[in-house]
Amino acid sequence: MSREDREKKFRAEIRELQLMAENLVNFGQQIGADEVEVTVATGQEFSVNIRQQEIEDLTEANFRLLSFRVIKDKRTASANSSDLSPETIKNLMKAAIQRATIANPDGYSGLPSSLEPHVDPASLKLYDPEILAIDPRSKINLALETEKIALSDHRISNSHGANFATSVAAIILANSNGFSDYYEVTSFNLGVGLQAGETDERVEDGWFSSRRFFRELDPPEIIARKAVERTVRLLKPKKIKTQTVPVIFEPPMTAWLLGFLFTCVAGTSIYQKASFLVDKLGEKIAGTNVTVLDDGLIPGKLGSRPFDSEGVPTRRTPVIESGVLKNYLCNTYAARKLNLSSTGNADGSGVSPNNFYLVPGQLSLAEIVSSLRKGLILTKTIGHGLNPVTGDISRGAFGLWVEGGEVAYPVSEITIAGNLGEILANIESIGNDLGYETAVCGPSIKVAELTVAGE
Amino acid sequence: MISYSNPFPLSLSDLEKIIEVALSQGGDFADVFQEYRRYQAVVMEDDIIKETSESIVQGLGIRVINGEKTGYAYTNEISLDKVKQAALTAAAIAALPSPVTVKPLVAQKVTTDFYPLKVSPDSVPLDQKINLVREAYLACQGFDSKIIRVKAALGDVMQWVAIANSEGLYIAEARPMIRLSCVAIATTAGRREVGFAGAGGRVGYDYFTEVKTPKSVGQEAAEEALTLLEAVDAPAGEMPVVLAAGHSGVLVHEAVGHLLEADFIRKKTSVFWDKLGQKVGSSQVRIIDDPTLPSMRGSYNFDDEGTGPKPTLLIDQGVVKGWLQDRLSAKLMGLPLTGHGRRQDFTSFPLPRMANTYVDRGEYSPEEIIRSVKKGIYAERFEGGQVEDSGKFTFTISTGRLIEDGRLTAPIKQATLIGMNIEILHNITMVGSDLSFSPQIGTCSKEGQEVPVGDGCPTLKIAKMTVGGQL
Repeated sequence: MSREDREKKFRAEIRELQLMAENLVNFGQQIGADEVEVTVATGQEFSVNIRQQEIEDLTEANFRLLSFRVIKDKRTASANSSDLSPETIKNLMKAAIQRATIANPDGYSGLPSSLEPHVDPASLKLYDPEILAIDPRSKINLALETEKIALSDHRISNSHGANFATSVAAIILANSNGFSDYYEVTSFNLGVGLQAGETDERVEDGWFSSRRFFRELDPPEIIARKAVERTVRLLKPKKIKTQTVPVIFEPPMTAWLLGFLFTCVAGTSIYQKASFLVDKLGEKIAGTNVTVLDDGLIPGKLGSRPFDSEGVPTRRTPVIESGVLKNYLCNTYAARKLNLSSTGNADGSGVSPNNFYLVPGQLSLAEIVSSLRKGLILTKTIGHGLNPVTGDISRGAFGLWVEGGEVAYPVSEITIAGNLGEILANIESIGNDLGYETAVCGPSIKVAELTVAGE
Repeated sequence: MISYSNPFPLSLSDLEKIIEVALSQGGDFADVFQEYRRYQAVVMEDDIIKETSESIVQGLGIRVINGEKTGYAYTNEISLDKVKQAALTAAAIAALPSPVTVKPLVAQKVTTDFYPLKVSPDSVPLDQKINLVREAYLACQGFDSKIIRVKAALGDVMQWVAIANSEGLYIAEARPMIRLSCVAIATTAGRREVGFAGAGGRVGYDYFTEVKTPKSVGQEAAEEALTLLEAVDAPAGEMPVVLAAGHSGVLVHEAVGHLLEADFIRKKTSVFWDKLGQKVGSSQVRIIDDPTLPSMRGSYNFDDEGTGPKPTLLIDQGVVKGWLQDRLSAKLMGLPLTGHGRRQDFTSFPLPRMANTYVDRGEYSPEEIIRSVKKGIYAERFEGGQVEDSGKFTFTISTGRLIEDGRLTAPIKQATLIGMNIEILHNITMVGSDLSFSPQIGTCSKEGQEVPVGDGCPTLKIAKMTVGGQL
């Protein structure tokens, strides 16, 4: 099939599914629901894994999922199905309305009452038509090429493999308040995982690039070199004594920390009192150098979308502004519970971040490192150990030990322990290296002190 | 044994045609995994039954193996035409036609029953499920006035699977699963802590009257939150660690189990790849993975490739004895199948995975073990852990106590343990006689695929381990 034909077929399918969603909304109302909201996701996935220059596996698929919720007398029921046959869907709708009558009434439930100005999906540049034109051979070659370059470095002893994956999807939403719209998104991911060193002292890391547009993806050379560099720098680690020192977070680690912050500012955590930031709106919770935004409207970025899962348009929401907690991120339900407004972060019955990031500063990572007399550059954490109720953090960690402003040696078998509230109040420097590799992201930062446990 | 009408629309002769298409471009082996799953859930929060939900998952995955290569395609649309198209997509992995004969399918009977339940999840009306959630919620809320918020949730699943392959196998079964969980938030003088408890497994609703009541789940969550209100910072640095029986099975799962999965061995990425027959730990250590333990989350009558599972000895007297195998790895390594080829759902192809992993019982009493420690920590419950192929692993204690002069004293706050697996295995100096299994709520993640697992262990003493607490 030509690219034009595939494009046409995809549009026809979207129109058909949008009609199906609208019909189901009407059907639900006809058989007794006060409010109905129907979402349909449809798309295609491709993924190839290469290991030691051979294809290990290749997956291609079409997927479809329909989900809906109904509200009757302020009582809610929801359902979803990957079987989209009219009979199954109608039966699920009937059963859901029946189930709603068993739940308790909840005055905060229901769809968003008024819909705000529409964001034009095209203005967000989330869909790359190029996706239909790349043939499987080129996709396989990208992964082969990335691993090949990485393996050509003699310090690399084994490979976890390289992966190239693409997806194209359409998100269709219709509800009983007259909303009916859709948007299309594409994504491209290329990455490689590596090992260096001999069996009993091997280290591992990797790198990746993730973009909405094919042409914006980092080329194999850049990804492979960065993966090699990140892996070999961990070779021959030393143990360190338990101590409290300044810690530099590289961008992926800042992103990890911000992911935890998102959980703590999510309106759903706040009304459940499951966050240390409950009742802190308007208070200073971080240094004046800290500004964190949630922005769904940055063209081409992974966390952008024209509207959230309830049809509320996304926006740019200051979360922390110069250290002051400005907003919790809410869906309609959490917003009503907290007497606030939705921020366009709804995701099913919960919330999810749009582009949630720490605003970058002026310094390069090299400048931040050179300012560190003695301390740790945190490169990776593993395990669990995040407690939103207290803000406590405790994780296994890997890093590079810094002495006199220079990297001295890698360290392993350490753990870091601290508290998110204390970390936010003690960010001494903020880097200029914000990369948007993930929806939640941030530049390098230096934190005044954390407990690093070793021997 | 649960008997159900077959929810799958494709006939055996349809499946044979599909497998023929899948192997039409060559390849050594093909299989079709059909899945139909119904899920129901109830959530209680803010003193009300907030929402009920239901989901239906239907789909089919086709795999073609050609040497070391796997081609995979899946679809939710189960018509013969759509599925044949998916079979052709998967077939593209094999470039050269080779004469593989597709054997006619013979339906096999499932002869074991590892889910001996009385009341199947889909036979219970929703209002009875709601009552169970309410019971857990109220028991938690009423436990102490310091409990300020509760959330209780119940989810049950019936998963029907049917597997057909090019060697003529056809086998199908229905797998039940129930999970009840409760979260409690307790507060006192500006301090707030969260407690969690859960229960369930491959059980029926008779479980809640005969094995564990919802009330006890609610109370356990409340107790954990209240204990944490009194908790002191864990010490930081190297010290002896005693692992409580049951919950601590997660350590075995993370530190050892993953790296004995045959794909990591075959690819030589695991620290154990060249250590079969070698001593990697203390002589007291014996580790087994057993998918045939009745009612446990990790159990099944056949794995997701249709293989009957076997209890698999992994480590005996500290010596590596075997690996967990799926078809692909077993074939490439020339070793027998163990029945550990598992997948999250029809969208994923099988990988070698753990089922129910445990450390076998030893000879020490738990009291003896605690008494032997002058200063250290006692780890009771865990949030989970993670391992690297290099053997470095970590896991997080959610509740535990200090051990001072051979006695359990103050509760400690969340802390993380980290170590190298082989070092830890050597440092296991005492193994208790009190084997038990952790609550049946565990899920294991590997390469993005989540599967239910069980794990267990007796009380264990690790002579020294790095604890990440506060200075």
